[in-house]
Amino acid sequence: MKREWLLPLVLLGLLLAFPPVASATGLEFYTGLVTKIMIFALAASSLNLILGFGGMVSFGHAAFFGVGAYTSAILTREGVTSAWVIWPTAIVLCALLALLIGAICLRTRGVYFIMITLAFAQMIYFVVISFKQYGGEDGLRARRPDFGLFELNDTTLYYLTLAVLVGTLYAMARLVNSRFGRVLQAIRENETRAAAIGYSVYHYQLVAFVIAGAVAGLAGLLMAHYTQYASPNLLAWQQSGHLMMMVILGGVGQFWGGVLGAAVLLVVEEILQGFTIFWQLGVGIILLLIVLFAPKGIAGLLRRRFGS
Amino acid sequence: MSLLALEHLTKLFGGLAAVNDCNLTIEAGEIHALIGPNGAGKTTLINQISGALQPTKGQIHFDGHNITHIPQHQRVRLGLARTFQITNLFKSYTVLENLELAVQAHSGSSLRFWSPVHREADLTEEAEQISELLGLTLRNHTMVAQLSHGEQRQLEVGLALACKPRMLLLDEPMAGMGSEESERMVGLIANLGRSPLGPAGAGVPTGQNLTILLVEHDMDAVFRLASRISVLVYGHVIASGDPEEIRANPDVHKAYLGDEGGRHR
Repeated sequence: MKREWLLPLVLLGLLLAFPPVASATGLEFYTGLVTKIMIFALAASSLNLILGFGGMVSFGHAAFFGVGAYTSAILTREGVTSAWVIWPTAIVLCALLALLIGAICLRTRGVYFIMITLAFAQMIYFVVISFKQYGGEDGLRARRPDFGLFELNDTTLYYLTLAVLVGTLYAMARLVNSRFGRVLQAIRENETRAAAIGYSVYHYQLVAFVIAGAVAGLAGLLMAHYTQYASPNLLAWQQSGHLMMMVILGGVGQFWGGVLGAAVLLVVEEILQGFTIFWQLGVGIILLLIVLFAPKGIAGLLRRRFGS
Repeated sequence: MSLLALEHLTKLFGGLAAVNDCNLTIEAGEIHALIGPNGAGKTTLINQISGALQPTKGQIHFDGHNITHIPQHQRVRLGLARTFQITNLFKSYTVLENLELAVQAHSGSSLRFWSPVHREADLTEEAEQISELLGLTLRNHTMVAQLSHGEQRQLEVGLALACKPRMLLLDEPMAGMGSEESERMVGLIANLGRSPLGPAGAGVPTGQNLTILLVEHDMDAVFRLASRISVLVYGHVIASGDPEEIRANPDVHKAYLGDEGGRHR
């Protein structure tokens, strides 16, 4: 337990020290990249909760990510500036949306579940781009909201994102080892048996789905603050695929899978984009190698290399 | 009053009636064996009683409740627990973890998201007691996938027991077992119910007086354990009675027992 948290704590120290060091050495650009990585780490971890720990292969997770971002953009456009209103609204909205989508999708299994989650996400995508007053296919500018306590600039956003990520990961670590987490993983392991010993599989999965949706919405909110813009791309199915790639790369059902996957994928994309316009080919090959040779992802590889 | 009553229960799969107008009552405290040739609909019947399958027609009453349309997890809560013919466990978990999960389902809410479950000593303690009853204490921390077939079958029953049931639905608990393992299982079942064998002794705690519906192909075990036997053929109960009556029933002989029945004369 203690050893398991040593590496993350060192990493946390480095992350805390990063912005001043970066600005002192003229590498401010990287503060932004790290912010983006942390936001995606949050979104991918929420997907990993249902995909990895719950066995629900949702191909529509971008819906919540995008709705979180759009809620922020639309509310600021409508004159709501307080983050204390925008944040709860976005999170609750995403949770309710997840409740609705999950309630329907979780009646299906396997490929049907993948397809119907995708269908819902696409529906939301098309609904959002049909609102011309909110930018349609061009997306919508999202002013940064007012926190009252501090001004939200690139540096404070960095620390805010870091705090949200650390808090969420801690809560998720508690959840995974709680009664609920144990049931969720047991359902993934053997659904029929879980039902036969008295668990209402549907309801436990639905609760997990709602939690994941709310966290993804939170990530979307941060994304809108980061880019100051809500793009339809955040809602598109490619975004769902992107999050799924992060989870697979990092490690499905591995606690650090979402974080590692987001970090590695975004850094690799950044590097490859500097070399070639065919960077997606490189990403594809890396993903292929991981799936073939490390089914538990990078987290699994690290675990094997350094013990538990 | 009977604990479980099936009225005109029918299950159609397309045109095929797997269970066909089946009537059956099971009294509290009895070990009731359900026998019948392969494909007679025994497992389909268990699946309907446990709630894994919805009947096409008919009703199921348990302990005064009409449970025909209530979901499986609620039936378990009412005290109706099952085992599976094909071993169905949490394979990558240890014996104790399997049992703890089943115990947890029946002690308090599982909508707890914060406290670590592995620190809940009550769950572990209860799981250990069941493991002891099964004779699996030495295997508590072994992964299920590494248990022998016989041990896995024991754990099948253990998971049902951990649900604190009033009635057990045992779907071929001896399937694929050697004679020594079967003997252990007979001892365990005799203990759980009020079998003519009486408490099996040998360090196993005394009987729990559970009502048991036992589906089994091992005729030897059936005739030793059961206080009543029903015979299912083509999804229909053709005879019901105590072991002597079933042994003497000519219809049963024709339909099912054949030469095998002769062994028990």
